[in-house]
Amino acid sequence: MLRSAIVRSLRASVPRAVRTPASFQIRSSPIARPAQFTPRFAYQGVRLYSAPAGLNKEEAEGRIVNLLKNFDKVNDASKINGTSHFSNDLGLDSLDTVEVVMAIEEEFSIEIPDKEADAIHSIDKAVEYILAQPDAH
Amino acid sequence: MARLSGLQRDVLSLYRKCLREIRKKPVESRDNFKAYTRAEFQKNIFIGKKDFTAIEYFLRKGQRQLEMYSSPGIRNIR
Repeated sequence: MLRSAIVRSLRASVPRAVRTPASFQIRSSPIARPAQFTPRFAYQGVRLYSAPAGLNKEEAEGRIVNLLKNFDKVNDASKINGTSHFSNDLGLDSLDTVEVVMAIEEEFSIEIPDKEADAIHSIDKAVEYILAQPDAH
Repeated sequence: MARLSGLQRDVLSLYRKCLREIRKKPVESRDNFKAYTRAEFQKNIFIGKKDFTAIEYFLRKGQRQLEMYSSPGIRNIR
């Protein structure tokens, strides 16, 4: 009688033991799990291999402003601020603008394709573009 | 800046290409190349926006010049 009780309890416990991981698996699938957990786990693996995300808005803007201060063709350095327009505020012509954009490229070690480069005519546009680039640093 | 015409964009693109080529030159002569490039563009700044044939001619001329000067044998310019 004791043996049959043991066998019965084993039989009862084995399927349960099998079932529990299965139910865990279902729960840990992205459908059943709260969505906020999955991206964090997926992200961590990537982060281990990459440099820390570096640029904030102030830093990018500060570096571009400094670069413009050293640019000798700017006619009024006091007008340089976060929203200066290259040709309207700083008196640069289109060739100077190209030079500035190239200097920005060099500063952040990226390459800006012609189409995007033609659209950058002001400091805030440049900052916006830089921040959208994952490999700018 | 107003929206650029196709030709204007070509001119700026040529200027950009020149600047990219200059980066391959020795550091000490880069300023000379830059000044020269700038002067070459400045020479024709008087050409009207609508003078398509002239602009196209100078664009081609510029491209040939760029090809010539981008040869690695040329290290400095005056």
